[in-house]
Amino acid sequence: MIRISGLSFKYDGGREEALKNIDMTVCRGDFLGVIGSSGAGKTTLLHAINGIIPHHFHGDYYGSVEVNGSDTVDNKPEQLAGTVGSVRQDFESQMVSSVVEDEILFGLENFSVPRDEIEKRMTDALDKTGIRNLRERNIATLSGGQKQKVAISAIIALMPDVLVLDEPTGELDPQSSRQIFQLLRELNEKHGITIVVVEQKIMLLCEFARKLAVMETGRVILQGAVADVLKKSREMESAGVNCPRVATLADRLRDENLYMGRIPVNIPEAEKMVRSITL
Amino acid sequence: MIRFDNVSYSTNGIKIISDVSFEIKKGDFTALIGANGAGKSTLTRLCNGLLKPCRGAVNVGGFDTALVRTSRIAKFTGFLFQNPDRQICKNRVRDEIRFSLECVMEDRAEIEMRCERTLKEFSLDGERDPFSMSRGERQRLVLASILATEPELLLLDEPTTGLDYRECMHIMECISVINRKGATVLMVSHDMEIVQDFAREVMVLNDGSLLAHGRTKDIIRDEPLLARASLLPPQITELALRLGAGYENVVTVDDMVSAVKKKRGVAE
Amino acid sequence: MGGFLDYSPGDSFLHRLNPLTKIFLSLMLCVSCFVTDSSIFCFMIILLNISMAAVAGISSRALAMLRTLIKFCAFLFLIQIFFIREGNILLSLPFNIYVTDKGFMFSLMMVLRLIVATLPLALMLSITKMNDLSNVLVGRMGIPYKYAFSLTTAIRFIPVFTAEMAGIIEAQTARGVAFDTKNIFKKIGLIFPLCVPLLITSVRKIEGAAISAELRGFNCRKRESGYKSYPFRTADIGVSIFALTLAAAGAFVPF
Repeated sequence: MIRISGLSFKYDGGREEALKNIDMTVCRGDFLGVIGSSGAGKTTLLHAINGIIPHHFHGDYYGSVEVNGSDTVDNKPEQLAGTVGSVRQDFESQMVSSVVEDEILFGLENFSVPRDEIEKRMTDALDKTGIRNLRERNIATLSGGQKQKVAISAIIALMPDVLVLDEPTGELDPQSSRQIFQLLRELNEKHGITIVVVEQKIMLLCEFARKLAVMETGRVILQGAVADVLKKSREMESAGVNCPRVATLADRLRDENLYMGRIPVNIPEAEKMVRSITL
Repeated sequence: MIRFDNVSYSTNGIKIISDVSFEIKKGDFTALIGANGAGKSTLTRLCNGLLKPCRGAVNVGGFDTALVRTSRIAKFTGFLFQNPDRQICKNRVRDEIRFSLECVMEDRAEIEMRCERTLKEFSLDGERDPFSMSRGERQRLVLASILATEPELLLLDEPTTGLDYRECMHIMECISVINRKGATVLMVSHDMEIVQDFAREVMVLNDGSLLAHGRTKDIIRDEPLLARASLLPPQITELALRLGAGYENVVTVDDMVSAVKKKRGVAE
Repeated sequence: MGGFLDYSPGDSFLHRLNPLTKIFLSLMLCVSCFVTDSSIFCFMIILLNISMAAVAGISSRALAMLRTLIKFCAFLFLIQIFFIREGNILLSLPFNIYVTDKGFMFSLMMVLRLIVATLPLALMLSITKMNDLSNVLVGRMGIPYKYAFSLTTAIRFIPVFTAEMAGIIEAQTARGVAFDTKNIFKKIGLIFPLCVPLLITSVRKIEGAAISAELRGFNCRKRESGYKSYPFRTADIGVSIFALTLAAAGAFVPF
């Protein structure tokens, strides 16, 4: 689906490489979470996937990124937009219209989607994100969480195979953040959309994502299934990334030879773990 | 240090704060938690006079905020906002700290001395352009420029938003240090882990009313109370609550490990 | 002041008009006051404007805008009136300052024209969706999409920047910058701590908007891309004729 080989990139005028020799494969239907301290290159990586790098931001580019067989260097962002949909953190500047309906219309009009199909795609997108009742609403009156759902809706109306999100819950409170992740899980499991999401909220990532990639100073230092990556909590900590406390707990219990099983990623699993030890 | 007497605040006909009364003593480290829209940001802004109460009185450091200009209160309070970019207005780190000091004092020698001291304390390069720094570094710069003025009261509105874990801990450590030196801290946060690790007292706000004000260790274990404010306890605390007997004093991962070992020791 | 250009939803007669008709109407209202010398006519136009706002359901917004405009204009009025020295003296003040009848009429007209130049257009924009505006400019007037989009984006960003500015003033006040001073000259000098943060944030937001638009196919757009069509119906023709008549009436009104 997405194949990244030997990708290195240095921004024009940058002091050092923002990405160093990245190798990564994202398979169809994956739900990948990307985490790392600031400056690790997470946003740069997403820009390399959706084509903003190298078409909008120029620099020294080595290696290749292939999305569904299309090389991102040979295809402009608008050509890739049918495959890769992008949602950014700052939803204020993403919006282009006054009303929710027009926001979703924007992308559809740009790509000259046939008129008879537009209505169908619009209702589909609104249904998938569960905001059909917001269709006529003025965007300025919506909450942060709702605005972000509108942004996601507008992108999935273009029917991408991959949804790439850059800290979508950065400005949201815990409840809205959780709702967004539940939405992503639905899009992934029910509608088969591949998800790549950069986030700082490690607990949500571990609970919802199936694969995790940890970045530090331009490299991917850990990647794999969530439970496997969480085993390496020491490496995560030295990369400046927080481990969910239940995972740290499992690690400590393992050090004391009390628990050898799967690392829990949420509270119910952690409860099971402790009860299994104290039985 | 801060006293609210039956304070209410409304805007555009909507009541945001209803009849809130509390007292925060000098040296306290209090976290303000609550669901989105509960009125936390408004309450912090009432604390330094950015907003004036519609009813009731707010007394900060001995001054009634309704009678005194905010810029006067700013001389002994510092406010760290969510977004550092709204405060940074110079293009050298040193100038930014100097500007902060110039807003609250006039002695040039003192200003220069404090400026250099702050740069050293926070390991900042005085010649750098703030906007070439990462968001976490910028937040640290704003905090440094506030702490340079040695405020008696520090108000924080979700200071760790958008920061990675390392930057987050850095900021919280700095705040902890200044609290130990005697400054009073009131912090709005959504992150229950941070609240548990750093705040000694907690105030729970819901729909503009104060639901509770007490010690952190008591409030974070009170699940029904937190549920009323649409909140969850921190991870380890929630786990401890579910496990029940034998886990009453568990707060940290270490506590949990000890409790598990003890239980197992009993079982054996 | 932040949301004064925000779209106000509704289904009134005015809402349903073609966006171009709405712009034309506000333009003609403006022109009518510039071709006339009658202050009474101008007052009537302003009243008409307010009643139109009431029909569209935005009367409170219109009155708020009017209040702000009046405050601003009162200041200009006072400055202007003391500069005109011809005509019969109505009021004599110390330091050889006086108010003449010509001065009064001139200043009044200037203020009224200023109000009529701003109010109708602002109100029309409040009842027009930005998307409709840019689509009609492209589809009906042949303006390249890039320009129409820049215009509507600029309008749409006004409340965003206003909110940003409010946040900056708040942050600077909290650190001790005396924005709450009553001294107006000091206030003006405080603009500088505002500029840097505002500029940086603006550039960042605009770049973000440009990237987002590019990722959603902005560069692929063609003239026929617009989904909705904007026909000119009988109501539009009727309103346009009415607008033209008003403009003409302004020139020939006897009082």
